[in-house]
Amino acid sequence: MASTSGSVGAEVTGETCSSLAKSSLPPPRPKSPPEYPDLYGKRREAARVQMLEREIGYLEAKIKFIEGVQPASRCCKEVSDFVVANSDPLIPAQRKSRRHCRFWKWLCSCVPCLSLASFCCCCQSECSCHLRKPKCCNCTGCNCAGSKCCDGSCCSNICCCPKPSCPSCSCFRGCCCWCPDLSCCIPTCFRSCSRPSCLNKKSSCCSCNCKIRWSSCFKCPKVRLCCCFCNCKNLCSNPYCLAF
Amino acid sequence: MSVSELKERHAVATETVNNLRDRLRQRRIQLLDTDVAKYSLAQGRSPVKFGATDLVCCRTLLGHTGKVYSLDWTPERNRIVSASQDGRLIVWNALTSQKTHAIKLPCAWVMTCAFSPNGQTVACGGLDSVCSIFSLSSTADKDGTVPVSRILSGHRGYVSCCQYVPNEDTHLITSSGDQTCVLWDVTTGLKTSVFGGEFQSGHTADVLSVSISGSNPNWFVSGSCDTTACLWDTRAASRAVRTFHGHQGDVNTVKFFPDGYRFGTGSDDGTCRLYDLRTGHQLQVYQAHGDGGGKLPVTSIAFSASGRLLFAGYANNSTCYVWDTLLGEVVLDLGELQDSHKNRISCLGMSADGSALCTGSWDSNLKIWAFGGHRRVT
Repeated sequence: MASTSGSVGAEVTGETCSSLAKSSLPPPRPKSPPEYPDLYGKRREAARVQMLEREIGYLEAKIKFIEGVQPASRCCKEVSDFVVANSDPLIPAQRKSRRHCRFWKWLCSCVPCLSLASFCCCCQSECSCHLRKPKCCNCTGCNCAGSKCCDGSCCSNICCCPKPSCPSCSCFRGCCCWCPDLSCCIPTCFRSCSRPSCLNKKSSCCSCNCKIRWSSCFKCPKVRLCCCFCNCKNLCSNPYCLAF
Repeated sequence: MSVSELKERHAVATETVNNLRDRLRQRRIQLLDTDVAKYSLAQGRSPVKFGATDLVCCRTLLGHTGKVYSLDWTPERNRIVSASQDGRLIVWNALTSQKTHAIKLPCAWVMTCAFSPNGQTVACGGLDSVCSIFSLSSTADKDGTVPVSRILSGHRGYVSCCQYVPNEDTHLITSSGDQTCVLWDVTTGLKTSVFGGEFQSGHTADVLSVSISGSNPNWFVSGSCDTTACLWDTRAASRAVRTFHGHQGDVNTVKFFPDGYRFGTGSDDGTCRLYDLRTGHQLQVYQAHGDGGGKLPVTSIAFSASGRLLFAGYANNSTCYVWDTLLGEVVLDLGELQDSHKNRISCLGMSADGSALCTGSWDSNLKIWAFGGHRRVT
């Protein structure tokens, strides 16, 4: 029976397999995930609509406001009336009333080097002032020996000489600044970066060969500032940096 | 509501917004029946005429060793503070040209400085994103370092401009590259109000300049890289009171007109403009005609005491036009006068009494200009 059954079984099995093979069951495929509601997209869209509706409210308020606004001509009249009604120390004009010669009062006050010998100053009844270019004054009060005391164009009591205690100090444009404190000279290259590639203001941002290490890189400001970083990893990529 | 319904609502709302904006624009055009120049011409105004020596450079303040970026006058006492690329603030006596203070800054990348109303403190800010306050009565060490009295920190971008609220030594306003302006309490170092930063509440790009009204210190205007200027009320920080359009480039500088109801702007598009605060009208455009079609960026502006003159510094060597604001004409170029600057003028400031203008330049100097001509008295 075994053989018969085996053979019969085999025949039965064979028949079963072939019938199975011929059945219409689809091949197994992974199912698509269930459609979850797109909450993020819906909320984002709802937020956009809310912003637009808020903007509509603001615009309607603006339109309501502008209905009651005066035309520009009335504003222009207000500007013109204000300008005409107010005096201006910087404008050359004929004045009907006596006025202080403000410039001369301002310029002549408390300035030891600007004496009446240099200017025809008048701060009294008549204001007919004549400006002539003053000569360099005699800097008798200057503490700097062997150096020019005057900057050449105007009398001043600024001493143009390097401070003796700053032998390595280089003076800017040949003239060290006058300071009330002891530190008169700023050493060269102090806090400055040598930026040979930054000479052209339209050049791309450059890195600085700076002696001072910055602890952190500044965020690159937009547009107009040259992003020069010293030893910084993140270089600014703004191509329109102006030299800062 | 489904997503598709929301999208439909979005489309309808967008169309409504566009229609309303168009209506607003049309109404504004209808109300712009004239400008200041046409009005003044019709009134028969005579132009301002300067003689060769009417405006003169009477002081050159030497001392900075780098570009000057900012300056400010005291309300009284004729002192000036200046900030420079050399990393220092210098306080000058404008009458004598003497330096009273030379403050070495912790961060050399300074962009702005301001005097307090009482003249006892100075504020500065820059790429370090903070506003630092220094007391001028503090003693400097031998390097010129003055201890910082207060640091106002909180901006998330560079501090481009700062100004004290008039007559209030304890409050100042800063503008920043983080698109906001902030009103600070200097005593506590804390923010009192933040202006902008949220979507559609203010500027949408770096804010470059602020100016506070002298007649109503609750109002201030700001200028931004988003090409607009905004009017703010410090009592209602949630949204700008008004936005002023017209410029086609970054608004680099804003300044109030002396009457407190108008303000001027200077922009990268090469124009200065005069706006009316209360109506929002653009009253005048000041555009130079020359090489480049008047496209030189305007770096800084200042009004004279009466508002008749508008001083404007431009981004080229030493040009500083003096505009007749009523007739819209250039009446003088300070860059062509004797002893003028040798490089770009980066900042301007008028003294409190209107008798002197100070200019700061990339040539590292400051200059003071005043009237030096005839006044015939009858």
